[in-house]
Amino acid sequence: MGVNLRNLVPKTTVRLNSLSGKSIAIDAYNALYQFLAIIRQPDGTPLKDHTGKITSHLSGLLYRTANLVGMGIKPIYVFDGVPPALKEVEIKRRMRVKEEATIKYEKALAEGKIEKARIYAQATSRLKDYMTEDSKRLLTEMGVPWIQAPSEGEAQAAYLVKQRDANYCASQDYDSLLFGAPHLLRNVTISGRRKLPRKKVYIEVRPETVELNMLLKELNITYEQLVDVGILVGTDFNPDGVKGVGPKTALKLIQQHGTIENVMPTLKETQFPVEPQRIREIFLHPKVTDNYTIAWKAPDVEGAIGFLCRERDFSEERVRKALTKMTEGMREIKGKVTLETWFESST
Amino acid sequence: MFKAKMADAKLLKDMISAIATLIDEATFDINSDGIKLRAMDPSRVAMVDFEWPKTVFDEYACSEPMRMCINISEMLKLLRRTGKDESVELSLDEKTGRLQLTITGKYVRSFDMPTLEAVEEEVPTPKVTFNVKLKITTDGLSQAIEDANLVSDHVRFEIDKEKMVMRAAGDIMGATIEIKKGSDALLDLEAKEASKATFSLSYLSDIVKAAAATSEVATIEFSTDMPIHLDFQQPKEGKLTFYLAPRIEVE
Repeated sequence: MGVNLRNLVPKTTVRLNSLSGKSIAIDAYNALYQFLAIIRQPDGTPLKDHTGKITSHLSGLLYRTANLVGMGIKPIYVFDGVPPALKEVEIKRRMRVKEEATIKYEKALAEGKIEKARIYAQATSRLKDYMTEDSKRLLTEMGVPWIQAPSEGEAQAAYLVKQRDANYCASQDYDSLLFGAPHLLRNVTISGRRKLPRKKVYIEVRPETVELNMLLKELNITYEQLVDVGILVGTDFNPDGVKGVGPKTALKLIQQHGTIENVMPTLKETQFPVEPQRIREIFLHPKVTDNYTIAWKAPDVEGAIGFLCRERDFSEERVRKALTKMTEGMREIKGKVTLETWFESST
Repeated sequence: MFKAKMADAKLLKDMISAIATLIDEATFDINSDGIKLRAMDPSRVAMVDFEWPKTVFDEYACSEPMRMCINISEMLKLLRRTGKDESVELSLDEKTGRLQLTITGKYVRSFDMPTLEAVEEEVPTPKVTFNVKLKITTDGLSQAIEDANLVSDHVRFEIDKEKMVMRAAGDIMGATIEIKKGSDALLDLEAKEASKATFSLSYLSDIVKAAAATSEVATIEFSTDMPIHLDFQQPKEGKLTFYLAPRIEVE
């Protein structure tokens, strides 16, 4: 679920095309799960090929990436590796949620409640190994760089931004901030129109940026203290957080007392599944790798068509159109230079 | 307090339309000497640098330095309503934060629009050493760019001591435009060394078309694979210049 800091975070809405020329490290699992949740038939069935393999994520990956590249935006996908041991509780919780949703989905379907079925179906998405492999293969064929993180994808994506190998980290979760991402971008892999849950209302989803420095200044805390706020609220490594402590209370407590260790004696219930220091370590010193190369290439059009249209039953006309957009976008990306190259202190 | 009046509304309309080729929201620096703006387009490929001293206006008053940010494409819509021999007056109501725009001609109409939160970003000047400097009529320049625009979306400038050559290669057609030193269009040409660079025509065409309405003669400076600097000489005082980053050829 990620840490819930929504109400604390100052955001700036941006236009997607103003990000032209910028490189974006996208949390791949986060994006793929969104595609799997959203790209479904009206009754909640995901897109599948003739052998029954799910293809919703490939559809999202192709069209969304083509859109970004078409605007001159340079995506880098970062895949999760082995989760930290502390994530086990959260992973089990997610499994349980999916199992429950699957039961409800099947029941709704059997009762012919199509709309309800779709809603439950969205919560059943599982990312199987073959889906990740398919995604990586497609990205390679599209000429888009992807990186295998040793552990958390968001940590690696944040690292890329810190190293200035990417301009932004893109994820729906705020965990990237706890991993120290200086610039976070939200609503990049969805964007456009989004249906409000359970309503037939569409709202426009605009990309927004969050600047870590601005956030810390506004909340008047240090980065380490922000991590402590996150841990009090609850992270993937202690999903329950501290009972009765929401984002606002957590912030107030850390502002007053400085650290979790100082906050603890003031609370009635201070049950942590593990030492806060262990969770803190995951955010402050995450496992990341320097073993990556980032290069955008012209797509292998015939290769991608062979894969998507012959093996995964996509419509060739639509795929070709998306790939043409990719080819043009990649040419633009490689040819384009911004004036910032000539500023003395370019960032 | 800020108030300014211009007897010829067309001047303001043309200037705003030149600035609007690059940006939607414009933050003007306003003080008792005049108004200024420097901004990059959202993709940071091009920059506009604009200055009007107060003498360009027929009436001008500014009590203290301020930054005023407005939606310039909205303002342009209003200014497009101006006709021949009409005057325009701008006045900022600091209490409400609204800019009033009054056009006076056969009849008087007054529009008011909101000002936006000013952008604090300072845009530096690109550090470029130029090897070529030329003076060209804006008419000659925009004709040449329109020619190139027929066949491609980018154009390559190749300039030596004798001439300026523009080459455009599209998927189907190609174009070569040659303007020699001493021709009616090319008023002056100094080249320390022969230089070549490629630019996006969509930017160049928009900039030159709009800026040509404000100016007869442009000074162009550039070097191989460096940003081009276009200075559109203003009839009265004032300054309108652009930087445009080159495209780097691949494959």
